[in-house]
Parts: sequence; C-alpha cells; structure tokens
Amino acid sequence: MDALSVAKTLHPLEVRILLAYDPGSEIDGETVRRDLHFREGQENQAFSWLLGKGLITEVARSASTHFELTALGHEYAEKGSPEERIIALVAEQGPAKLIEIAEKLGFDQKTIGSAFGLLSKVGTLSLDNDKRAMLVGEASFPQRVLTIKALLTKAKAAGGAVAETALSEAELEVIRSVAKKRGAGDSPFRVVERERVLYRLTEAAEEFRGLLKSLGVSGEELGALTPGLLETGDWKKASFRPYNIGVAPARTIPGRKNPYVEFLESVKDKLVSLGFEEFDGNMVETEFWNSDALFMPQFHSARDIHDVYSIEKPSMAKFIEEPHLSKVAAAHENGGDTGSRGWNYHFDRDFTRRLILRSQGTVLSARQLPSAKVPGKYFGIVRCFRYDKVDATHLSDFYQTEGIVLGKDVNLRTLLGFLEMFAVEVAGAKEVKYVPGYFPFTEPSVEVHIKHPVLGWFELGGSGIFRPEVTKSLGIDVPVLAWGLGIDRMALMTLGLNDLRELFSPDLESVRLRRTLMQPK
Amino acid sequence: MPKIEVNESLFFKLLGRRMDSVSLEALLPNAKAELDAWDDTSTETEDRTIKIELNDTNRPDLWSTAGLARQLRVRETGEIPSYPFFVPLGESRKAAYTVIVDKSVQKVRPYLAGFVARGPAISDAMLKDFIQTQEKLTWNYGRKRRSVSIGLYRPSIIAWPVHFRGADPDKEAFVPLQETRTMTLRQILAEHPKGKEYSFILQNEAVHPLLLDDKDRVLSYPPIINSADLGAVLVGDKDLFIEVTGTEYPSVSLTASILACDLSDMGFSIENVQVQYPYDTPFGRNVCFPCYFQPEMRAGIEETRKLLGLGMSVEEARNAAQHMGSQARIEGDQIVIKPAEYRNDFLHPVDLIEDILMGMGMDKFPPEKPHDFTIGRLSAIEEFSRKAKLSFVGMGYQEMIYNYLGARKDYIDKMGIQPESVVKISNPMSESFEYLRNSPLPGLLGTEAVSSKAPYPHRIFEIGKIALLDKAENYGIATRQYAGFLSCHAQADYNEKASHVATLMYYLGKEYTVREAQDCRFIPGRQAEIVWAGKPVGIFGEIHPTVLEAFGITMPCAGGEIDLDLLLN
Repeated sequence: MDALSVAKTLHPLEVRILLAYDPGSEIDGETVRRDLHFREGQENQAFSWLLGKGLITEVARSASTHFELTALGHEYAEKGSPEERIIALVAEQGPAKLIEIAEKLGFDQKTIGSAFGLLSKVGTLSLDNDKRAMLVGEASFPQRVLTIKALLTKAKAAGGAVAETALSEAELEVIRSVAKKRGAGDSPFRVVERERVLYRLTEAAEEFRGLLKSLGVSGEELGALTPGLLETGDWKKASFRPYNIGVAPARTIPGRKNPYVEFLESVKDKLVSLGFEEFDGNMVETEFWNSDALFMPQFHSARDIHDVYSIEKPSMAKFIEEPHLSKVAAAHENGGDTGSRGWNYHFDRDFTRRLILRSQGTVLSARQLPSAKVPGKYFGIVRCFRYDKVDATHLSDFYQTEGIVLGKDVNLRTLLGFLEMFAVEVAGAKEVKYVPGYFPFTEPSVEVHIKHPVLGWFELGGSGIFRPEVTKSLGIDVPVLAWGLGIDRMALMTLGLNDLRELFSPDLESVRLRRTLMQPK
Repeated sequence: MPKIEVNESLFFKLLGRRMDSVSLEALLPNAKAELDAWDDTSTETEDRTIKIELNDTNRPDLWSTAGLARQLRVRETGEIPSYPFFVPLGESRKAAYTVIVDKSVQKVRPYLAGFVARGPAISDAMLKDFIQTQEKLTWNYGRKRRSVSIGLYRPSIIAWPVHFRGADPDKEAFVPLQETRTMTLRQILAEHPKGKEYSFILQNEAVHPLLLDDKDRVLSYPPIINSADLGAVLVGDKDLFIEVTGTEYPSVSLTASILACDLSDMGFSIENVQVQYPYDTPFGRNVCFPCYFQPEMRAGIEETRKLLGLGMSVEEARNAAQHMGSQARIEGDQIVIKPAEYRNDFLHPVDLIEDILMGMGMDKFPPEKPHDFTIGRLSAIEEFSRKAKLSFVGMGYQEMIYNYLGARKDYIDKMGIQPESVVKISNPMSESFEYLRNSPLPGLLGTEAVSSKAPYPHRIFEIGKIALLDKAENYGIATRQYAGFLSCHAQADYNEKASHVATLMYYLGKEYTVREAQDCRFIPGRQAEIVWAGKPVGIFGEIHPTVLEAFGITMPCAGGEIDLDLLLN
C-alpha cells in the first residue's frame, strides 16, 4: 500500500499523536495521556500501531515504581478516608457508639476501630461516659491523615497512579506504610513496577503529517454513525473517518435454495411456460401402473425380480381400478379392442397388484391419461427408483423428467416439433438430431440428440407416440405424445460437478459453497 | 438392451462393403443401434471387433453379425433376401430329419424347433459369433433360457430320429460338456457351473427334459447343458443340427428362424426338420422347421399419414416397408406386409407404420411447431412448497436435498423409532438402500453428523417426499410432501423453532395451535405438535440427546417436520 492509502486508514489515536508532536520529539505514555487526554491503555494501542508502520521508534526503556489506587483507594479518593468521615459524622450528628458509626458509614468494626485509635491518639476524638465517640475541641486531622488525603487526590489526578519520583520524602514515608505489594484489598494503594518506554517520532512521520493535513484529517473524525449523532445533528459538525476497504470482508452465511433444486425448478418453470401442467404421484406404485398399463408384457426381461424394488409389507394393493384392469389385461392377452393382437399370454391379475417403487416417470403419464384433457399437455419431474449399483453415473433414486401431449391432430412431426422446442428452450441446443428409438410403450419411438454449447453431442431424451394398447385401454382415443428428458448431465454441468451422487450431497459446507454456473436457457 | 461384438471382417463381408466409423454411425440408427466402440488398428485385422448396442428388445434378429448386416443392407438397397427353406405354418414338406416329442415334456418344456445347416467349414469368427448370438437370444429374448434355449450338434454322428422326452432327474445320467464323469441330472444342477446357473428353471419340476438320439444316447439336457459326446461343435465342422426348445412357441420358432437366416447369409444351405407331437400345440401336431408362422399385417394409408403427419403416397409407403425387410403390397388404400421371416414384432398397425417411417428415413419428416393452446401451471403442492421454501430461506436456512432410500441404521435405529413404521424393500440391493424414508429428519441429522467443521450456526431444511404406512390407502402406503427443518448451534432450542414455525405458518396463512407431544425423537416437555384445522400436521422441538449421540452429533439441535400435503388441503 502506498503512503496515501495508509494515511487514509490511520486510526484517530495515531492521527492525534502524529499531529501533536513534531518529528524527532520524544514521547512516552504518560506524556501522551496527559497532553492528548487518552484513556489509560489507548496510548499503548496507538504506539503499537505506529511502531508497526515505522512512524515511531523506541529510544529507551526504564523501570520505575508507581503507587496505584486500589478499588478501596478509589473509594477513599471519592468519599474520603474513614478518619475524615468519622469526624464529619460526629461533627454533624453528635457523639455515637463506634458500632453505630460503623453501621452508618458502612465500614467494618476493625476499620472504624483503627481509625478511632489514630484520632484519639492525637486527641481529636475521645469516648464519653456512655462509650460514645465525641469530638474534643475543634475537628482537627492528624498530619498523616492529611498526607494520605493529598496522595489520594494526586494519584487520582494522575490517572490512578503516582510515580515514586513525583513524591516528597515525607509523602513517600506515609505511602510506603500503607501501600502493599500486589495490592491487598484493605489498602488504598498498591505498589506496581512500571516500565516506561520512550519513543521518538521518525522522519516518516513528517510525510504522514503532511498527508494528514492535506487530507484534512484531524483525528476527531466520527467512527460509527450513531442514532444519537443523527438525532442531535452533531454529525454535521464533523467528518467521518474513512475505512480500510482493502480488508477482506467477513463471511455471511445466507439462507439459500439448494442449487440442484433450483435447477429442477428452472426446468419446471420452463415447461410451464411452454404450456405444460405439472403432475405428481405416489412413490409406491403397482406393477399395473408401473408396467402393465404401459403394455410391457409381464414376462418382459426388464420386469425380473432384480430390476424393480418390491415392498415387503404391505406387498399388494387391495385392488386395481376398473375398467382399467380388465381393459389392460385384454390388451395384453389378445389386444382387446385396441386393434392389437396382444402379447398372447395369460395376464396375471395377482402379480399386477404387486407393490413396487416407481421405476419410471412414465407411470404418472399413464395415471394421468384417464383424466387428461384434450388438448392437454402434462409434465412431472419425479423421483424414480432403479435397481442399480450406486456410482458416479448411477443412483438408486433420482429424478426423471417426463410428460405427455394429447391432441386430436398430434403426430410424429408435432412430436419432433416438441423435441426441437425442448432442445432449444430447455437445453440451449445449437443443433438437433432425431433417430429412431425403442420403448415398449411407444410406436413410433424417437430419440433426440442435441449439440450442447458446452457438453457437445448427447442424447437429451426419448419419446414417441403411445401405443394404442396403452391409450385405448385407458379410455383415450386421440394420439398421445410421450417424452422424457435426461437433464442430469445438464444439472451436473450447471453446478460444476461430475458425480451424480454429489447432487444429493449431505455435506453442508459443499452445498453452501456450490454455485449455479450457468442456468439453462 | 443387448450389446454385441461383431467381427469387423465378417460384418463388412456380410454388409457388402467396408466403411469408416462416421458412415457406420450414420447408418446404425436404421437398426436402432449405436456404435459403442471399435478396436483400433493395433489389433490384427482378422481379430478386430466392433461393439454395437441394440436398443430394440423386440428385434432379436438384430443381435447377431449377420442379422445386423442384413438389416442395414436391406435398408440401403431395398433388396429382400430369399430364404426358400421356410415352410409356411400348416404346410408339410418331406424332411430328412425328424424329432419325436414325448408327452412327458408337455408340462415342463413343451415346444421344440430345429433345422440342419450344411456348408463351409465353420471359422473361429463364425463360431464365436454363433455362441454370442445364442447367448443374447436365450438370455434377453429367452428370459435367461426360461422360455427359449438353444443346442448345437453334429448331425452326422446322431442316430435319427431324435427324441425329446421327460426324465427322472435322479435316475438318468450322462457326461455333460466341460466334464469327464457321468452325472445325474440332479448332480448337474447341483455341481456343474451351468447347472447351478440355470437350476432355477427346473428345480421345482419332477420331470426334466432330455434330448436323445435313436440309440438313447443323450444329446443334451435342455435348457441346461449339452452332452460332451454328441453335443460338442468345433471349428472346422461343416454340418450342424440346431434345436431350440422352450415354453412359448412363437419365440421358439422365431429363434430357429433367426439362426437359419443368419447361417444362410453366411453360405450354409438349410435343411428342414420335422417335429412330431403327441399333443396339440399352437402350431399343430406336425411342424416343419424353419417355419413361417407370422400373420400378415396391414395399415391404412390415411392412418399412416395421420400418425406420421406427412402425406406420402401409398407407393412410397409400400417401398419404405420393403426397405425394412418385409414383402409389401398395396390393397386398395392399405399397405399389407408379410413380415420378414426373422421378425415377429408386428402387434399392431402402428408397428408397420413405424417401419414405414424408418424405411423412408427420419429426415423426410420436418418438425412441426405445436399449435394446440394449453395453459401451463405448476401443481398446487409445488406452488405451496415454494411458498414455504421462501420463508425458510428468508429465516436463514440452507435448503438440502437427499436420497429417499436409506439404511435401517439411519432411518430407524439412530432415530429410535419402530421399524414397522417405515416402508421396507423386500429385495434390496444392499443394506444401504433398504428402506423408503418416513421423515426428512434423518437426512438433516445426517448432514449435521458430517458437517461439524462448517461454520455455525447451521440452519437447514428440505422439502420432499416421504412415505407413510396408511391402512386407509389402497396401497397401504401414502406418499406425502414434507418440510423438514433443523437448527444446530450452541443456542439451538425449542424457542427458536417455535418462533420459526410461527413465522412460517403466518406467511402460509395457516392459523395453528400447539399441544404437548410424546415423540421419542425429541426431548420430553420440549416438543410440540402443530395442530391445524383440528388435525396434527407436524411436530417440532429439541432433538433428544439420545438421537444426537446415535448420529455422533455434539451440537444441540432443534428441528421439526410439517406435512405440507395435509396443510394444503
């Protein structure tokens, strides 16, 4: 930092020292406290800062003995010593027993006893016949009491301590008799050994003095702007101390959305903006809705025991809704009234009630069909469960993005139109390619591959037109486009991650620090 | 989805031309296939293989080098190969070979198809390819040999006719492949590697299937293993007898058809085998194989145009269907096909329409902007959840998101709750993913357990699904949207949560009351049930130190959960 920047950030205490003394001057704590009215301790703070900046150097260091006021000493300095207060009390209220005096003045009996002893010895007080302390003649104080009183006043004026060198022989004799090392509680003074350090302002101080003057800084600038300053308007009479803006800011821990959830929400919002209505459903489903309603034959290899999670208890739904069950069963067995020849096997009406964890989002599309509007567009981003070994590219539960479009006149070309829309609007694709695909529940089926600005070519999704075996069995007589988008790769890219498990990270700090690098367009 | 490895030289020979990876990648979508990997030139030309992924599980004919090459060739040229050896179903042809099926297999493995192939000496590449095809067909299409299995033999050393009959697994014995000793069928299932792998198909059967020649010598023990004597085929063999057995006749027959077409493409001549049954089958009592059994399929041109959104001519549609390998003709305004001999995937006219689409090529179909107007909207629960989320974020909470499957120790043991209240998976893949969560709290506490180094205070929440057992539901299980929240810091207490719940409920517009609760997850006397509209909708309080200790947490935590579905309705 250059001198000007440093000058701007000097603390008012430093500023006041620099402006008060010429370079070459020698100063110590006592001088500064006296001249600049620093509170005790402030001078040492200021010295250490100035030393660090090379604006003062240490010249000499010497030890000296000080007598410092104890808490009791401060009290005596303020309210008077016990002797003074006894005399004042007796003078005002007349003779009193010592025990009464102790009670009234709040001293213990020992203190009152020794004070009385001192005063009676010099003949100021004596006991009357009723054992009450009474004044003998004028109220006069012994010299010792007067000396202590003077010492208390002196120490208080000097900031709570007085140096040995500043005292006369007579004063020293008295103070030594009452002061205790390490300050016992029953003594007004304690003896402390102080180190006096002498500093000299360096040549560099001269430059800063100039800079401070040119900046118009006096050291009297305001620190914090307080309600009081605003109420009184006093801020108008002063200027504000500038802050060091180069200091690293403190960390704020904000309330925040989870960036992955935020990404999912942005995709939902995008789909809503394209006219899609959101659907939702159960995580636990039946074989019927998960696969049978989608015309996947019950003997299909993808329906083996180790491809879906089944539920232990309860293991079966109570029933499957009619007429869906009968119509779907017929479609499987012989095509029913769907125009199909069916899969030509015996449909198992018990197996179809088996409870499993939803393995594909298409379940919700099938479930939506019986109550869907025509024309209608629906979507869901829902948790699905797969019998996969968990690793960087596979999770046991994850989100699928799925949807359907119903319309009298929708067809393959409209399907491609939707895919193009998703590619451009949801994924920000620059190029789009369609290839034939295969899904058990759609015919024809199409995969969409896109060229993403960052990720390059990848498969964005699968889609198709629901087979009539699916739609007709669920009471729908118009074509239904079905689509699914794989947005996990985009999510990883957006969050700067490369492991799917990280999307569901339990680690608070890594989630707190995670940022959304690029929102999907 | 099956992946196959094809021998590069064999593949290009069958395809009729060589090509680079760019051209091949462009061609493969015509078979719904994708290029997976290709050996580089460091591998000897003869050994180089191409790895290809096949997506269509209804087209097992594509899972072989010859089948894939055929599809791509026909798609390019439109020339349909001729397979004159097929006998139409119901017709008889004089066959030199016969298999006699005994009534005893009807219950266990009722159907058999077979043929004999004669031709060039089998090369190493061909044998490898054939074994791969056999595996793919029986594993994927044949459901791990349950519905289809395949056996290969040298026909010249067999005493014909061949017999397919039932056997007592404890009495009959033979020497299986990869063995030198005679083993009973039961021993094979218990001790032979293939027996152990496929014993699940036969273990509950009293009678097991056995294929023998006329001298009562065992050819094989379908679907488990061939005999070491008569059931071994080697490189250099010129003649093959191939049989397919199984439980679904169309699948069994189609598998034989696919293998016959593949061998025919590779230069073999195919000879028929007649199979005689003492019982009725869907194909009759006397069936000649390879058998053409597929019914015709037809699609109207209007229906085709409507589904594909393009006004192609009926001739265009017919030609396109032919480019996918099936003989097609026009009848009035309909396209009628005889499915290719090796295909049986036409269940509905839409299947033919997709063939027409693929035969024409996807590039003939320009995307069309949708024109139906619909109003988009988020679900009510999503809107409501987002509102709740805003309150939590405003109160300084970091949103978290967790997996829904977890371990017993986290969801149940550490929480100190009864296992009966959590949905359990009956076939978990591992202990780590055995339960479906019933609360967001274990996830949140899991975060605290691993985050003691993150600067405090910690305030986290999650809005997501949980599953509850609910006898009133048809499924006995309800899915609910829950908000879970947790504060962890030295001063985290009931009062903080009470204040946050009050704020949340105020902004959700729900007037609620609290009442005392006895939930073992929280400290007694420092927990409250949230009651809205007369029903409990959630709970909050100071997490019980027993729970904290179980999670290894040494910071006070206060938290709770709210059923947003209940609160919304």
